[in-house]
Amino acid sequence: MSKEESPQINRRTTRSSYSNTPNSKTTAEDSKTTINQAQSLSINDFVYGDESKTLDELINSFPRRRTQILQLISLLGPLNSPMIPLFIYGGASTGKTSVILQMFKHLNRPFIYCSCVTCYSPRILFESILNQLFLHRKNVSNGYVSAKRCEKPSDFVNLLREALSTFVGSLKGNLGKSSSKKLSSPVNGIMVYLIFDNFELVRDWDKSATMLPFLFNLYDILKMPEVGLIFVSKTSPDTFQSDPGYAEPFPVYFPDYTEDDLRQIFMKNQANPKLYSSFLEYVSQFKRFKLFVYFLFILNRAVLGHFCRTTRRIDELSTAFSPLFKKYCEPLGDLGTVPSGDMKRELFKHLQPFISPCMNETFNVTSQSFCKASAYKDRTKRNSIAKKLGIESSDDFDLHMSTSAKYLLISAFLASRNPATLDASLFDSTGGPDARKRKRKSTEKSKEKKETKEQELLLKGPGTFPLERLLAIFQCIADYSPDGEEMQDGGLLYEDCDTGLMSDILLQLSSLCNANFISKGASCPLEGSIRYRSTVSEDIALKVARSLKFPLSKYLYR
Amino acid sequence: MGQEKAAVEAQMILRRRLCNPSFIFSIFSQSPDSNYSKLKYIISSSVTEASNNSVLLLGPRGCGKTAVLDLVLEELVEEHAEMVTVIKLNGLLHSDDNCALKEIARQLCLENQLLFSKMASFDDNSLFLLSMLRECGLAHKTIIFVLDEFDLFAQGKQRLLYSLLDAMQSVTSQAVVVGVSCRLDADQLLEKRVRSRFSHRKLLFLPSSREDLQRVLEHVLLLPTDSRLPQDYTATFNAKLLKLLADDKFKEIIDTLSYSDSTVGHLVRFLFHAVSHMNLNSGGFLSLEIFKAALPSLQRQPKLEGLKDCSILELYILVCMKRLEVKELESINFNSIMKEYKSVHDTFRTSDYYARKVCLRAFEHLIECALISFEDNKGHGQSVEFRPVKLLITWHELYQGLKSYNFCPSILHRLMDREGVSAV
Repeated sequence: MSKEESPQINRRTTRSSYSNTPNSKTTAEDSKTTINQAQSLSINDFVYGDESKTLDELINSFPRRRTQILQLISLLGPLNSPMIPLFIYGGASTGKTSVILQMFKHLNRPFIYCSCVTCYSPRILFESILNQLFLHRKNVSNGYVSAKRCEKPSDFVNLLREALSTFVGSLKGNLGKSSSKKLSSPVNGIMVYLIFDNFELVRDWDKSATMLPFLFNLYDILKMPEVGLIFVSKTSPDTFQSDPGYAEPFPVYFPDYTEDDLRQIFMKNQANPKLYSSFLEYVSQFKRFKLFVYFLFILNRAVLGHFCRTTRRIDELSTAFSPLFKKYCEPLGDLGTVPSGDMKRELFKHLQPFISPCMNETFNVTSQSFCKASAYKDRTKRNSIAKKLGIESSDDFDLHMSTSAKYLLISAFLASRNPATLDASLFDSTGGPDARKRKRKSTEKSKEKKETKEQELLLKGPGTFPLERLLAIFQCIADYSPDGEEMQDGGLLYEDCDTGLMSDILLQLSSLCNANFISKGASCPLEGSIRYRSTVSEDIALKVARSLKFPLSKYLYR
Repeated sequence: MGQEKAAVEAQMILRRRLCNPSFIFSIFSQSPDSNYSKLKYIISSSVTEASNNSVLLLGPRGCGKTAVLDLVLEELVEEHAEMVTVIKLNGLLHSDDNCALKEIARQLCLENQLLFSKMASFDDNSLFLLSMLRECGLAHKTIIFVLDEFDLFAQGKQRLLYSLLDAMQSVTSQAVVVGVSCRLDADQLLEKRVRSRFSHRKLLFLPSSREDLQRVLEHVLLLPTDSRLPQDYTATFNAKLLKLLADDKFKEIIDTLSYSDSTVGHLVRFLFHAVSHMNLNSGGFLSLEIFKAALPSLQRQPKLEGLKDCSILELYILVCMKRLEVKELESINFNSIMKEYKSVHDTFRTSDYYARKVCLRAFEHLIECALISFEDNKGHGQSVEFRPVKLLITWHELYQGLKSYNFCPSILHRLMDREGVSAV
């Protein structure tokens, strides 16, 4: 019954915390904890501390991963057998990391795990590996420093060789002791495995041109048969090509789950840790376990096929399903009931209208908006389907910023969209937009021109503009007011801030830049001034304009 | 010892051999015209004649340059124990001159039981190196410098190479520089002042011929008769293996393998897979099936695998990109793909029409699995929708991928067929 822990958790915990927590058990029955707080680290900390898994348990906990598991086991080989470097690759959420980590739990062999997400630079990567090998843990007493300071690959190789040989020596000693005293040590063998997770990220490092061949050739450089290297990556080996080439590691491929596999995995609900954990709260709270199973059944029959057409990733699918499940449970007032056949049909009918909008919003559902919606749920009764599903609908979209910041945002948008040559005609004091309308005629030629312009806009995206232009447009539109009443308000507002306008606006601009509404480009080599670019989409700009009652569309050049 | 235990033991022996390049390449040490003998002659003559020398070992990866060199050095150290000091550098680690000299000084100190100072400057280290070279020359000791990944030392000012080779011009010093590189034009990378000091001895390591591969196979896979293994097991294993090696079908497999890459390194990876699956399905002997099964795991087609992992929406995006590419637009970005996607939807009324956000996510998946990529790395200010992208798969690959995809909508096939006609 034991379940794999979610890979997310695996990646985020340190080894010591996995060996301390009863990690792989998420079901309640296994909650008896056997915390043996490791005060001082020893070799035994290099394996999972708990009782090991049998091969069958391992295979059962990963549905549809049997071939990969067997292949990996045979490539790792029997105890103490050397191994050429392995390269495990496959799409996101196909179980690469969890399989390999759980496999070491099964084999009880010492390993060193480092993920290139957390070790985001060569130095951190090197020091993290060395810290683990030297049984060193950063804490207050040592001022959170690493065991060795090491930045260059050459130092790293020397230190690593030294550390590995002492480590392997202690493993051998351990082996001798345990065989003589008949003490069963939890550590098996004298091989040490280095696992580099998220290896594709190394490609984006500054020094990737030297780091990639270095890490791939590490096995040949070290020349130690007791070391096994395992690279785990989301992208295939051919995306790692570099000029000098490298000794190719042995590829092991994890294919994505097919639709049938997904069906099985979702049915075998406990086997999917992410989906399960997101519902865990519900299930324990409402004892709706049976209901959940029915829900999954419906998902499989009716919904999964549709969703699979857009994505086949478990993590994304399960986040998409979670609001649906919530919806599904809604008509059931009584919490403990098990629905009958009729009831089930009714529930499905209730669910049906939500399925297709949910699909189009599949990836919109962030955990944040989900929480928000549930927080607001009591306060307001929401009408639209989207809102009921916990998705922030576009109507109540609100940017919490000052009026002048909104105007600034709009003027940045205008400056990015409109050609600079038209500014004069758009914003001149006499006629404003009307003057332009007279000029434009819809001849064939202009239509054609318009089309190519549109095409260009589509390709080039928003244009850049200097600060002066932004301020000029800002001044023009801030003067604008739609009707008399607004005039007073607006007039008052801008009279007030006329005095402190410039410094205030520049501050606002920098905060908009920080919030990534406006991006700051490199300075233009000819003019020498910094150029800006608005990154907001037209929808957002229009909404902001609406909130100010500003007729943005009149000013947009089309 | 039971059969199973014997099989595990045999597997261990084979795996150990496969992970030890020195063992694999020791087979070439017997023949007189092999690179091994030539290299040994060059180095040992300069050791015995107390002269300076330099040589480059060139050849693709996996041809045994380093392994042969290691064998030669090992033997030389055995023969002339006190007279040879080996300093090993690697271009991947020590391409920086400062770092390289420090490492030389460190290894020299280690060899001669001297105290190494980490704080020594570049100048100190180079003076130390020169005086060591002189001292060793006076004592008739040879220092052998091994520069692995030699081409990486030729970047920049080449100060290290210059100072090494320049020091070797004097009569007092006694050193051999051995460069190892997989770039066949490595000597052309050298500056003039360095090149003129370099002896142009080169040894070329080429991918092995069919006969050599056959010899390597026998050398690696035949179990030793003098091991702890039971005699009858070894005898059956070897007999079966010899029969297998003579089999035409087996030869065919090796031929297909060496068709793409006939280096020994490639063969070793292939054998590693076969050997590690030895006990799983055929009771401790190597059979034809194992080798057959090992072949596809090495000859992967990552792009097609990537296509198989795509969802249908992602396939739509790829096909739309391909259509745009055929139209010879200057650049493609997400917005133009969406326009194309919409027009495909409008003309064919497909059932798969999704919101822009969903498509954007699918688009990001494609970038993540490297089926498409951004054309430039710089456009950080731009949002994803506007950055120009390019397809990383050919028309043919996409066509194949769609064909082998299980539930591919027929409309995509039709679109691809049409593109194919206009593309050809």
